[in-house]
Amino acid sequence: MKTDFEKRYQRAPLHRPAEKVSARVRAASEDLAARLHKQPDRLVSLPYYEELFTTEKRKKELQILNRKVVGTYCYFAPEELIYASGDVPIRLCSGHSDTITTAEELLPRDICPLVKSSFGFPILGDGWIDACDVIALPTSCDAKTKLGEYLADYLPVWMINLPKIKNYDGLKEYWLKEIKLFLHKLEELNGKKVKAPELKNALQLLKRRAELYRAMYELRLAHPLLLSHQDLLMVVQSSFYDDLPRWINQTELLYNEMKKASATGKYAAKGKRLMITGAPIIWPNFKILNIITELGSTVVADDMCAGHQRLWDYAEPDEWTLEGMLEAVAARYIFPSVCPCFTTSYDRIDKILHLAREAKVDGVIYHDLRLCQIFDMEKDLVVKVLKENQIPVITLHTDYGQEDVEQLRTRIEAFLEMIL
Amino acid sequence: MITAGIDIGSVATKAVILSGHFILATEVMPSGSQPKLTAERALAKSLQTAKMERNQLEYLVSTGYGRRVVDFGDKNITEISACAQGIRFLKAPMGQIMTVIDLGGQDIKVISLDERGEVRDFVMNDKCAAGTGRFMEVIARALELRLEELGTYSKLSKKRIDINATCTVFAESEVVSLLAQDVGKEDIIAGIHRSIAERIATMGKKIGLKEVVAFTGGGAKNKGFCQILEEELGLTLHIPKIPQFVNALGAAVAAKAKK
Repeated sequence: MKTDFEKRYQRAPLHRPAEKVSARVRAASEDLAARLHKQPDRLVSLPYYEELFTTEKRKKELQILNRKVVGTYCYFAPEELIYASGDVPIRLCSGHSDTITTAEELLPRDICPLVKSSFGFPILGDGWIDACDVIALPTSCDAKTKLGEYLADYLPVWMINLPKIKNYDGLKEYWLKEIKLFLHKLEELNGKKVKAPELKNALQLLKRRAELYRAMYELRLAHPLLLSHQDLLMVVQSSFYDDLPRWINQTELLYNEMKKASATGKYAAKGKRLMITGAPIIWPNFKILNIITELGSTVVADDMCAGHQRLWDYAEPDEWTLEGMLEAVAARYIFPSVCPCFTTSYDRIDKILHLAREAKVDGVIYHDLRLCQIFDMEKDLVVKVLKENQIPVITLHTDYGQEDVEQLRTRIEAFLEMIL
Repeated sequence: MITAGIDIGSVATKAVILSGHFILATEVMPSGSQPKLTAERALAKSLQTAKMERNQLEYLVSTGYGRRVVDFGDKNITEISACAQGIRFLKAPMGQIMTVIDLGGQDIKVISLDERGEVRDFVMNDKCAAGTGRFMEVIARALELRLEELGTYSKLSKKRIDINATCTVFAESEVVSLLAQDVGKEDIIAGIHRSIAERIATMGKKIGLKEVVAFTGGGAKNKGFCQILEEELGLTLHIPKIPQFVNALGAAVAAKAKK
């Protein structure tokens, strides 16, 4: 199979299996799951999702089912097309700090922790990447763009050329072509064409997922502690790995439990209502959320690509032609996205203001991952606009390590004292 | 009413005993590796100076990085709130303080206050130690000087040296290179001070340096640095008589509310 990287110059894949590192990775997930387990009055439907992070059951299942697995990164690898092809998408963006040192044997130190963390897994021969047949990687930022060259040592990599400027002409001009090219690659991989009804089915399934998430989100706005934000992100991020119909069934159960539990009136927000914006917070790097909980406040909203943004949007399945549906898919990834990889950031700011007002937040936390330049560069204007709208905001500049937990606690605690 | 404030910083632990409007005692010691024990010792020693018994204390508030290890206190608050309350208590002859620059062991903070003296906004350095008290310590060690000597040397500087590195480790290497080029210690120190002052000025500009601007924390004891910081900011700083104790004092002030 042809890949985006010609095999002219080759580098042998680096393999460094290390049981010690793998054990730390497992322990990080187990510790977080145990911590979440101990939350007071926690809903009983939630432990289901923990298993997707703490066990290898799903990975084994994927091997048994013998379906093609497409490893994806970012928000932009079109799930609709992967599902329509009968394949399974698995999102490989990682939040583990323990794999970073492993990745630094090849990758430079001064790139974002998400890319380093994710790349540690193929070197270790561990994690979800083991189950993948191919990787779909959008060129959303510099680090992700170059990451493909490293991943190509291990698996075929399909780069997805993402535009940098949001405009309708550009969308028709080449992003739609890029989407079609992606579909073509999937068809080549599977040896069969995707037909309109198959894509329509996939769109319908993903619309159901979005509607379910929206209902859950709206219920949670009134009763935020039905799901702590850690639990909400766990539910959202478990959808990176789970079988889609099963995830929808389980989440319907969760939603019904939420509806019942909301009647008890026990789940009102504690302390201040906060929103998180900025770089993704990915399992198990929930340190900021854990600190906020420990300080007695509640995160009620976020705009992150591995959080709210992930499940809120969908492509409307009301088109009948393949062409029409592909156009809807193309638009769905560009226009609602609040990723700072696009310029300009004005619609991201609109969305932050909307979410903050809707969730009646007392303050916003801008999560800045060290060496993620695009979020960092957008910060100034976002912060300015929030302040002009009388919404207090604090920036937390951090990475995946645990060593700055006390510094972060001081900043967050002082922020909470300030907005008293 | 007798209250106490303990500020367990990354480098030094400070204690203040307060009786209404009067500061009865101040105590400072290195935080060391057992901050809880140090906090107890600092409190005992300051009570001794104030000629008081532990049971005469009505309320004790802790602050600083180690604030949560103090299990014998009644409450803990962050050093940002403590700093605001401390500076409000001390007042300044130049008028109302609207901004505080605090240079501590591992933090630089610029705190903007509102008319009531409450925290309006604040900025801090991230986890990197560049430009903090710890940074000054490292540089002093590379120059074989005591921390207290930096100010005196800095004032003797005749020639402007620009230090480019902002990372503590790289700055130390840069200092070593400058020594190898036979540059005078006093010029190196003034250069280091200027690089810290520039960093603080950038942070200050982000949040707005509304006057009167106070300068607190252990860093404010370095007079040579204060002079360079004033030059860099282009304004006169209000430096309290006890800059290092402002946060501990603020904690003792907060303790008066007893809640």
